[in-house]
Amino acid sequence: MKLASYRKKSPWILHYNAGGCNGCDIEILACLSPKYDIERFGMINTGNPKQSDILLVTGPVTKRNRERLVEIYAQMPEPKVVIACGACASTGGVFRGMYNCEGGIDQYIPVDVYVCGCGTRPEQIIDGVVQALAILETKTKELEESVRLKKEAVKEKQQLNRRNIADEIKPAFT
Amino acid sequence: MAKQYEIPIGAQHISLLEPLHFKFTTENEKIVKTDANVYYVHRGIEQACCSKFKFRQVSFVVGRVCGLCSISHTTAYSQVAEKLVKIEVPKRAKYLRMLVIELDRIHSHLLCLSHVAENSGFEALFMKTMQYREFSMELLEAVCGNRIQYDFSIVGGVARDLKPQVAQSIIERLKKFVPQLDELMDIYKNNWTLSLKNKGAGAITKEDAMRLNVVGPFARAAGLAVDVRNETEDLLPWKEVGYEMITETSGDVYARNIVRLRELYVSIRIIENIINGLPETPLITETKAFPDGEATVRLEAPRGELFYYAKGNKTQVLERLKIKAPTFSNVAAMAEAFTGNEYGSVPAIIASYDPCLSCTAR
Repeated sequence: MKLASYRKKSPWILHYNAGGCNGCDIEILACLSPKYDIERFGMINTGNPKQSDILLVTGPVTKRNRERLVEIYAQMPEPKVVIACGACASTGGVFRGMYNCEGGIDQYIPVDVYVCGCGTRPEQIIDGVVQALAILETKTKELEESVRLKKEAVKEKQQLNRRNIADEIKPAFT
Repeated sequence: MAKQYEIPIGAQHISLLEPLHFKFTTENEKIVKTDANVYYVHRGIEQACCSKFKFRQVSFVVGRVCGLCSISHTTAYSQVAEKLVKIEVPKRAKYLRMLVIELDRIHSHLLCLSHVAENSGFEALFMKTMQYREFSMELLEAVCGNRIQYDFSIVGGVARDLKPQVAQSIIERLKKFVPQLDELMDIYKNNWTLSLKNKGAGAITKEDAMRLNVVGPFARAAGLAVDVRNETEDLLPWKEVGYEMITETSGDVYARNIVRLRELYVSIRIIENIINGLPETPLITETKAFPDGEATVRLEAPRGELFYYAKGNKTQVLERLKIKAPTFSNVAAMAEAFTGNEYGSVPAIIASYDPCLSCTAR
């Protein structure tokens, strides 16, 4: 079963607003609309983190949103790609240094593609998502390679195993 | 009594553009109680505007409060700052501000309508409305230089002039848009499938709307005639360019759709009047004064009344800036209007409120 090729043809997108101004979010909606139409790449906006491959995050991370962001990232299955959409998701933008903002999502989750601009244009978002597809492919290959263990298993001196337990108890002093 | 279940929606959900949390207590699929939790996107903009940025920079910062109605925020802030430094804006700048506000209203209302259609399960109508909306984004880009986050109003006037060929293209595109709007009006009014989800859902009476202090299209759909454009004349001359109040009576999702669509006709008329009667004056009034004293400003954003309060102390940095966004007034009524509805119609009702939480939480 060629799961990897299917994934390349239909990457599903999860969108989360981590405290932005809605500007990039409406541009993501505009990407779904007939003029830009990212469904020609097979992309569908899903609401379920467990079915999605690409996480599109907008906005600087506010203190109340960061647990939700990390939770959503953790629920997505491997391989996954994160796109920081907009200036404030990449670096904090104009909100950097405000008391309830964290300044960029890469402080909490690993980011693969940064899309610049305030607000991002739909063409830029499409370009970022297409770059993310290439990264998704390499990540899939890495995941599917068989990994040979090169190191030996760790043996510690103090390790307690069943054989040690079965040993006779030595007298403390003779 | 039937068994009660609690169903949460949010903070991340397919039908929500922004983090928003509703907790519904349901009884046989009927909602009996709603808790709303809207402050997920608090960023601390007011505090930063009073400490980090100078008062001429603040108009660019408050544009980032909300991407959908950023021109309303920048204009309201520019007006309140102009009151503090005591200057009068040239008439051409006022007209250009009104032009961009109305273009912004077209794109915001069409976005809300398409979102209602999507959340009602009518994907084709979502696509159609988004397709028709795209012309307003192109016009805004031609006028201001950016699709969103225009930064068009600055303290003293506006940043760009309207070129004659851009004005010509606006008139031409609006002529093309009117038959498309008629088509949308026909679908939203007469489509039987959409009416099953929209008619009678999320209804609020006029008395409740009055009691809960509702503003914007939400109030106008319930029959409450509140619109700042109808009340203030001093800062932006709305009645001069042909403003007209629009109200419906039923107060449900259907009425809100119709109010928004009918307001688009008014917006088109206002834009045509502005372009035909654009006065020839300078764009900006220069001043070197520092803000002093207190001032308030009200402005009609696409979602309702926007309120700004500012206080200056004769330095570059403001002493206090307070923003009251339209959705903040509507939160109480939003929680109330769910009561008695089926749980299945919740996404459509949420979209029809057109909530803007980044405005609310700032």
